[in-house]
Amino acid sequence: MTAPKDKPELMKNGKRHDGRSPEDLRNIKIEAFVLNNADGSAYIEWGNNKILAAIYGPKEALPKHTQDPERAVIKCRYSMAPFSGNEEHGSSRPSRRSIEISKITKEIFEHVILVEEFPGSEIDIFIEVLQSDGGTRAAGITAAAVALATAGIPMIDTPYAVSVGKVGKDLILDMDYIEDKYSDADVPMAICPRTGELSLLQMDGILSPDEFKKAFSMVKKAGDQITKLQRNALQSPYQKTMDKYSKEV
Amino acid sequence: MAKKILIPGDLISETPLKMKETIVQDGKTYATVMGVYDDVKKSFLPLESLWFPGRSDIVIGIVESARLNSYGVDLNSLYKGIVISKYEETKFNIGDVIEATVRELDETNTVVLQYPKLLSGGKIIDVRASKIPRLIGKDNTMIKELVEGTHSMVKVGMNGRVWIKGGDINLATEAIIKIQQEAHTSGLTNRVKTMFQQANASKGKGKVEEEVEQ
Repeated sequence: MTAPKDKPELMKNGKRHDGRSPEDLRNIKIEAFVLNNADGSAYIEWGNNKILAAIYGPKEALPKHTQDPERAVIKCRYSMAPFSGNEEHGSSRPSRRSIEISKITKEIFEHVILVEEFPGSEIDIFIEVLQSDGGTRAAGITAAAVALATAGIPMIDTPYAVSVGKVGKDLILDMDYIEDKYSDADVPMAICPRTGELSLLQMDGILSPDEFKKAFSMVKKAGDQITKLQRNALQSPYQKTMDKYSKEV
Repeated sequence: MAKKILIPGDLISETPLKMKETIVQDGKTYATVMGVYDDVKKSFLPLESLWFPGRSDIVIGIVESARLNSYGVDLNSLYKGIVISKYEETKFNIGDVIEATVRELDETNTVVLQYPKLLSGGKIIDVRASKIPRLIGKDNTMIKELVEGTHSMVKVGMNGRVWIKGGDINLATEAIIKIQQEAHTSGLTNRVKTMFQQANASKGKGKVEEEVEQ
């Protein structure tokens, strides 16, 4: 990771440039069932990130040579809208970065979805980043997990993702764009909360084994909060009607 | 609370249970879709789930292709339907709505249908397949209520399609949407009954007013 001369001061008196403590997440808002024409959908606002996730399927996998007779094929498209960020996102055509994120997202969900139940089919996951401010892959994965649950696709777990970074000697959770750009390391992770399995681990930069252990525990701790928000987003539309009529009965 | 809403991966029971839309791992039962778990009845009602063809399921499909010896039927799901024409006397046209029974699901994800019946006219409503059992109701109570309250002909397909004809179609549609939205709540049959009573009472009142005006 390069450290340019104009690097801003990312940590000051134990606080980050936006006033958060190292282990604080940004404000997260998740909404499920947002698109009528998709089989499943979710919208997430993670700090300044605004992301839509939509699910289609399971449906017949086309072209036919992509079919797997024993399992469903997961296809994922992560895309940043041309207006989503300040830099290098003038076009929404697949870039090296979006192809990479589509691939890792697909692999996370291949592990979680019961793909053997739908042989010969495909499940499409679309992640559209409308506004970006760092950590969009983590936010996209978190939203896609909620969207898959709304589509009724059987999964063994509802995964979440968040990234940890390193600034000097400090580890910081959930980096925004400025921190991401000038940090010494960036480690996005996705975890299945029930089993505690790590389904995504990427590392840009260097962490010592001890730092990695600390980063992992920070992600797991933040996971409680993110899982709670995912749960709320999924449950609240049903809980409202349930509460309304349980009083009447 | 006796009823709780679960999300995929939530623990249902510490013991292995045989339930739809669940998975057993390490001797424990977990939910694989969103659903309501009733602690008292020990039942799991999926809120969002997909239709898996079962033998003798009644489905509603639309004929989308006619070949020499078969008709291709759209079933609004991953599975394509097929009616083998040599066994049937009735001829269908593309776009016809049919009611049929599932004979088998073959290895190419094709549902072989039998006893097709033409449903002419009417209106089709797409409903989540997971809400269909609630739309039918225990001992067909809900569907009976729907037919009596609206005087419509109603056919329900397990694949998430409902066909309505005649009677008060708008009221029937409204009721089906209500059932879909409130499928996980208790006392729904009574609420639907009240809805029909109120709608029919206001219709009766409207008629009286029209007569007075004349």
